[in-house]
Amino acid sequence: MTRLILSTSNIMTGGPSIIRKPGADRSNLELTNSLRSNFLAAQQDYSPPLSATNGSSRDSYDEDQPSHRPQASVWTARDGSDYYIPKIDWAISGLAEEPSQYDITVKLFYLKGADIKDRPQHTKDAVNLVLKELGVPAIDLLIVSFPGMSFDGDCEWEADKKNSAQGNDEEEIESWPVLEELHNNGIVKKLGLAEFGSEKLSRFLARVKVRPQVDQVNVKDCCNVPPPLLKLAKMEQIELLTHNDCTDILPSGTLRELLGQGVRGAGILSETKRGLDGMKGDLTPDWVVKYTAVVRDRGVIENKGYFAAAELKEFESED
Amino acid sequence: MGLLALGTPLDWPEAKQSANQVREWGVKQLLAIWNKAKGKERDALLWGDEIEYLVVNYKKDNENVTLSLRQADILHALAHDEDLCTNGGCVPDLQTVKRNGGPPLPIFHPEFGRFMLEATPGKPWGIGFKDLLDVEPNMKLRRKIAKDHMDAVEYPITLTTYPRLGSPGTFTTPFYPPSGSKLRSQFVPDEIANPHIRFPTLAANIRSRRGRKVQVNVPVFKDENTPWPWKDPTVNYDLHNWPEDDDVRNGASPDNFIHMDAMAFGMGSCCLQITFQAKNITEGRRMYDQLSPLGPILLALTAATPIYKGFLADTDVRWNQISAAVDDRTPEELGETPLKHNRWRIPKSRYAPNSTYISEDNRLRKEYLDPDLIFDPDIKQQLMDGGMDSLLATHFAHLFIRDPIVIFAEDLQELDLTKTDHFENLQSTNWQHIRFKPPPAGNDIGWRVEFRPMEIQVTDFENAAFSVFIVLITRAILSFDLNFYIPIKKTDENMQTSHKRDAVLNDKFYFRKNPFAIRTPRPYSANGGSSGTTTPSISRPPTPTGPVEDEYELMSIDEIMNGSALSSSNDFPGLIPLVESYLDSMNVDVETRCELAAYLDLIRKRANGSLWTAAKWIRDFVANHEDYKKDSVVGEKINHDLIGAVIDIEGKNARKGIENLDKFLGKMAKPCGGAF
Repeated sequence: MTRLILSTSNIMTGGPSIIRKPGADRSNLELTNSLRSNFLAAQQDYSPPLSATNGSSRDSYDEDQPSHRPQASVWTARDGSDYYIPKIDWAISGLAEEPSQYDITVKLFYLKGADIKDRPQHTKDAVNLVLKELGVPAIDLLIVSFPGMSFDGDCEWEADKKNSAQGNDEEEIESWPVLEELHNNGIVKKLGLAEFGSEKLSRFLARVKVRPQVDQVNVKDCCNVPPPLLKLAKMEQIELLTHNDCTDILPSGTLRELLGQGVRGAGILSETKRGLDGMKGDLTPDWVVKYTAVVRDRGVIENKGYFAAAELKEFESED
Repeated sequence: MGLLALGTPLDWPEAKQSANQVREWGVKQLLAIWNKAKGKERDALLWGDEIEYLVVNYKKDNENVTLSLRQADILHALAHDEDLCTNGGCVPDLQTVKRNGGPPLPIFHPEFGRFMLEATPGKPWGIGFKDLLDVEPNMKLRRKIAKDHMDAVEYPITLTTYPRLGSPGTFTTPFYPPSGSKLRSQFVPDEIANPHIRFPTLAANIRSRRGRKVQVNVPVFKDENTPWPWKDPTVNYDLHNWPEDDDVRNGASPDNFIHMDAMAFGMGSCCLQITFQAKNITEGRRMYDQLSPLGPILLALTAATPIYKGFLADTDVRWNQISAAVDDRTPEELGETPLKHNRWRIPKSRYAPNSTYISEDNRLRKEYLDPDLIFDPDIKQQLMDGGMDSLLATHFAHLFIRDPIVIFAEDLQELDLTKTDHFENLQSTNWQHIRFKPPPAGNDIGWRVEFRPMEIQVTDFENAAFSVFIVLITRAILSFDLNFYIPIKKTDENMQTSHKRDAVLNDKFYFRKNPFAIRTPRPYSANGGSSGTTTPSISRPPTPTGPVEDEYELMSIDEIMNGSALSSSNDFPGLIPLVESYLDSMNVDVETRCELAAYLDLIRKRANGSLWTAAKWIRDFVANHEDYKKDSVVGEKINHDLIGAVIDIEGKNARKGIENLDKFLGKMAKPCGGAF
């Protein structure tokens, strides 16, 4: 079994992929676009420079010409059973100033196909990758997003009601101790939830030791937060923050397309039966983590990016 | 405009003699600041807004509205209010203002016009999103405190200009006759200006240096019944009180222009200005450059000045009028006569769009710079000898081509290098649309940039919206490393375009097509099995730099603010979507996001035309008034009702029965009013 670790590197200076398009609210385009552009960038950067090739100019390279794609081994890296897409040069990651200058927010998305009992390990893996990427010992706020939750509905009350029956209370509470542990170890200063309506939130608060201090909600019109949720948040001193992410942030079909052989794919996964042109197997996205480092007092976002992890159960070769 | 210490001001011929001394000492003070503060680091983002008010005398049943000249009395009342004093005081020009634990009071300042008042927050704002929510209530508080210290018939209003300033008849209370010795204006009395000696001296010395009165000529709006050619009917060609009365006989008042002749017609305008503290000088220089191309766009978006001296103008904004009102250039400098006594022909007034880029940014191509920039090479050399880099030295050597206008004899005795007065003398009378401000003497304030082009808006909601928008766009610029560079001459052109009637909807502006940073490639090393050379090479050459002309294009304000339509050949993301993307990446609480959404929505709709600018609303108000005869004349009754509507918009029984308010401000039911 191989663990694929996809990364975007810092997307703040990555141009259009991060910019919201009119009408494209609540999409996972930011993640998919920035992964795709980081793959392309790595393919270019890690390929031999012009002077080292005797052939075609790489200036003519563009994403519609998959035949120009360099070998995967050039721009990806294996480390045991981990497979980094693209490879990461840890020496050039990190922040410009010392960690105390930043507010670091991390949001972890547990994905629906992953095994619940792996969540503790997934959580630690995700947080460790972020700490390593940013070169910091701790993060200020860790928000977790459980699958199957939303704030959908034509009216605010209805959305809050519907939310009450979404997700899975038992699984969510079962997942919390690892977060409490990170909090108790000082690695995470504050914990947060995403998309918890008033009823779910009050049930949750009654059963956990370390309480979440943030509930991040996505309401279409942020002026229409359900009043029961507002009331509860005020009473329990939970900060209600807004976000623009979608919960189903990396469906396996999307991941397959990102890594596949198509014109917009990275050419990592095979799409033929024989598996000659890439890896082959069952692909399960496990988690996605988003991190944001904001310079405190200046409101400048210095670094933002994503890691995504997926399991690939490779088929036995038929040959 | 704070008051400098009192002293003996020099009249122009004398001041001229001392100009070089002030410049030399100014350069020395600048170098002292530079050496002290060039390494200043990690200052927080602090920012402040400035709101300027006109004070009017308005009675419901009296057609004659006037400007109140009681600025000094109002400030006195503010400074002697016991409650305000207990809370620390709010008039630093008249009292020592202290912080007494509680939230600091807003601060009130005198302004050039004796009918004006300026108010700023009691302490600078931060970037905490809660601070952004406090801006509008604080603006409302300022308006309320000001009103509470006025007579019952006096009101602070936020119109850029008083529509009938300089019209025949009575437009001030108390009344004073025009044609005084300081301004020598046909239209306004000397008493229109703040009596503090600095202000009349400023006006008089500008006039003396120039050799005639200032000429503020605004094209008149041609309506159905406007006589054409139009001759300003208020100009008196038979006045013989002062030599300057010859100006109009010598063609100062051309056909089809509203003619004005005094500094008060420009410096009596109200603006909305925002100042930011940068983290260090590098960031300050970058902000200065990147905000420059946004100036004309925000000027057109905030257009609010369609009337001068009782006539509808054919322009929508104040900028050129202020520029002309303080233009101290001589005929030689203007290029009207050959250079004999002056050193340069100078293409712009002291009040003008800025002419320099100053950032040490490798994206700044030399093609963007002004090829005709005038600067003093000796001063540039002195600054460079003092350790300043060429780009910044050029900037200051450009500002120092001007003469100091107001010099106090007492200040010429001794050079004090711990002060910045001589430097500020020149710096603060270069009124460019972006100002780069070195740290002041004697405190811990850092390098700052001031954004100056916006027109004041009628309501505090709008003023807060534009203030907050500018703050957010600076954060987006720094976070996304945006690049708005265009040749600076194009910004000059844009600034002129902004003046056109409804430029916000009908005109196009030069703007950079792709604002995004070019990705920095990873360093390539040959361990991936390439040719085996030992030196790792920098992976790729930077993206080729094509012709500068390909980098920008003419765009509508809608496109610049809201992004290119899908059908467009452009792919500009839009300043508002950039700000929204920035907000999406920040932890913003729901209440703040709601407020910010209302602000962004106002600006979005002003840009796409679904809401009107103040200029359009005022024009519409005049056009539909029963007294309007389609002859471009804004008479007393129309003026009265317009001022009445402006007072009502921010008044207690706000917005009842005011025409077209929905088209101007949108449905003002606060979207979050119920929920919070």
